[in-house]
Amino acid sequence: MDRGAHRTVSDASEALALTGITHRFGAVTAIDDVSMTLRAGTVHALLGENGAGKSTLMRIAHGMIRPDAGQVAVNGTVRELASQGDAIAAGLGMVHQHFTLVPAMTVAENIALGGRGPWSQRAAERVVEELSARTGFALDPRAVVGSLPVGAQQRVEIAKALARRARVLVLDEPTGVLAPGEVQGLLRWLRAFVAQGNAAVLITHKLREALDVADDVTVLRRGARMMSGPAREASEQSLTAAMIGGAVERAPRSPRVPRHDAPVVFRADDLVVRDAGDVVRVRSASFRIAAGEIVGIAAVEGSGQRELLRALAGRLPVSSGTLVRPPAVGFVPEDRHGDAVLLERSLAENVALRGLGGARGVMHWDAVRARTRTLMADFDVRADGPDVRMRALSGGNQQKLVLARELEDGPGLARGAPPERQGEQDRTADHHRFVAPSVDSPPPTASALVVENPTRGLDVRATAAVHDRLREAADRGAAVVFHASDLDEVLLLASRVLVIFGGTVRETPLQRDAIGRAMVGFHS
Amino acid sequence: MSDVIAPFLAATVRTATPLALAALGELVVERAGIINIGLEGAILAGALGALLGGTAAGVAGGYVGATVAGTIVAAIFALFVVRWRADQIITGTALTLLSLGATGTLYRTLYGASGAALTLATSAPLPIPVLSSIPLVGAALFAQPPATYLAYLAVPVLAWWLHRTHAGLALRAIGERPDAADAAGVPVDRYRILAILFGGAMGGLAGGTLVLAQAGTFAEGMSSGRGFIAIAIVVLGRWRPVGVALGALLFGGASALQFAFQAMGWRVPYQLFLVTPYLLTLAALAGAVGRARAPAALGRSLDD
Repeated sequence: MDRGAHRTVSDASEALALTGITHRFGAVTAIDDVSMTLRAGTVHALLGENGAGKSTLMRIAHGMIRPDAGQVAVNGTVRELASQGDAIAAGLGMVHQHFTLVPAMTVAENIALGGRGPWSQRAAERVVEELSARTGFALDPRAVVGSLPVGAQQRVEIAKALARRARVLVLDEPTGVLAPGEVQGLLRWLRAFVAQGNAAVLITHKLREALDVADDVTVLRRGARMMSGPAREASEQSLTAAMIGGAVERAPRSPRVPRHDAPVVFRADDLVVRDAGDVVRVRSASFRIAAGEIVGIAAVEGSGQRELLRALAGRLPVSSGTLVRPPAVGFVPEDRHGDAVLLERSLAENVALRGLGGARGVMHWDAVRARTRTLMADFDVRADGPDVRMRALSGGNQQKLVLARELEDGPGLARGAPPERQGEQDRTADHHRFVAPSVDSPPPTASALVVENPTRGLDVRATAAVHDRLREAADRGAAVVFHASDLDEVLLLASRVLVIFGGTVRETPLQRDAIGRAMVGFHS
Repeated sequence: MSDVIAPFLAATVRTATPLALAALGELVVERAGIINIGLEGAILAGALGALLGGTAAGVAGGYVGATVAGTIVAAIFALFVVRWRADQIITGTALTLLSLGATGTLYRTLYGASGAALTLATSAPLPIPVLSSIPLVGAALFAQPPATYLAYLAVPVLAWWLHRTHAGLALRAIGERPDAADAAGVPVDRYRILAILFGGAMGGLAGGTLVLAQAGTFAEGMSSGRGFIAIAIVVLGRWRPVGVALGALLFGGASALQFAFQAMGWRVPYQLFLVTPYLLTLAALAGAVGRARAPAALGRSLDD
């Protein structure tokens, strides 16, 4: 990457200039007088925590939201962008975090969408083939988008923008859904794209990525610009400080090694799980998970981790093989708003949901409220009381309450002494000790928690708090199984990693490269 | 035998015509992800509009009145559902009930409480030369009022428009993923409004056909559930114009059976035939919904 070449051009023309942008949602000022300039031929990283206003700012640039104040200029011309159509016409293209593709349609149809006049499938297919050749993306014009893997869908999303002659691309958290190898491919492609005189804004919260690929960086915090300047003058420390304000101490990784006589909580032998469509998603998996362990499931989207977690949590039936699991497993699904909480109901009602399917008779609301208060105190859930609506809580506090609820009644809450910690030793070979189930000494209560993307949508502080709660639960003897799309999170939290690829589960050493390779099907 | 079959086929096509017109309109609405339960109301309004237009300006005026009346009902639906993001099912139900009441009241106010014995010039069958003299099916298919030919024409035109134009692609995308269409620069709400207005115009035309090509008069509640049957036909036809046309013919045939059975002198209670289309509606929905894939965003709140 010869990035120096662009930088020598100090008066590079402005591909996209945002000046004095301010936007309020009700009483909240989401964007506060932010300016930012994207130079032609460069990649500009837009950094910030969740909720810092990165996506809102770029939605304004793309005509999806009209700002209360400020102006947008594309290639030196001030534009009134009233719709995404206007933005597209001005030469902007956005690659959304949640792709805006029609899953039931083909690649060719998706790319033709938004044009005028008659069209034919064949002409649209030719356009896709031409784009494939131009970009190096191998796109099959006739493939139905919903059946493509996430990485390929992202390439369709990019191709869609390029088909409309976008010269300025905005990519919203594009690497979050990709496997490590794919990330490198995408960033390389991005450099080549801007080298042709185009420009790109890369929205991300990953510092390493920003420093690797960007020419300039802008950092937002709570809707305000904290810093802006050349990437080579920034460091991970300075960016972190700008992002969260003040110095941060990253909690050192503390891999916990459970006692070698810890009881086995989950035992799978030749486990096969099918999804609702009767497709095999987990293929003859065999593993043991013991009390006190935090096992990370690493996988790229759609590899079967969703079904594996649901089988462990008792939400999906076992098709064949055996799965021994505790009768009550706490489960925290990734779609918090869709699957875990009732946003419009009170905290107490949300707590009462646990085990409701097996409950009978009259509700004792006073007892539920008291329990909710206890959980809120134990897990540091900040809210006015058990009667406030779930919606009033921040994402972090919602997630803490969900964790509290799902861990209730197990040793996760029992006030026993944490299991003895072992020193750091040969962790990779450690799991063999668990093969023989210790039936002789049954656990006091075999408690278990299954968690899916536990920190999605949470900021740094809330993420740390959730991690701490999970570690505490394991310290108290719960078996914790979690999946995180972000490999860094898996490495940070897990004491052991299982990689699932195409339904096949493999134990993988705790090394970034090995896990990254296994996630895309290579293993040594 | 042909003295039974030819009239049966003619009755089938005649009964199927309003169903096909209404269902083709609703097809376009549903492809935009919206379900208009108010179609029944648009048909009824169309019937009254045909009466008003017909008495004022003859058959042509009747069709114009029918189309305008159906479009007005649809415009109210569009205003509530697209502009104000009201619930589709509740708005549609309210509109059907409103139409039922409003047409009855208007009719009685304009034509007196008795209201009976008001007859209107109907549009005469317009035989197409050569085609109408094909044995057996010629007269049934090609000696029909002009509205039937419009339905014939609408099927290939709509099929072409949906699958061979960018506008059709955009409409189908809106029914699947409105945010994807929006991101591609498609003016989503404008498409939805135009689709709803088109559906209303077609529904009104269907109501006009009941008055101008069949009954020759207006009766309160004369749509008698055809709007709901048309919605079932859209499902049965799998949201495709050709399928919808075939579905309309199936329902038309079920209704026409009673004429055939009478002609053959079979003594079957006529109520049995009156109920057939409705039983078929239930059977079609129970049997077809499982297999067919509806537009993914159908009926969803527009805010999602």
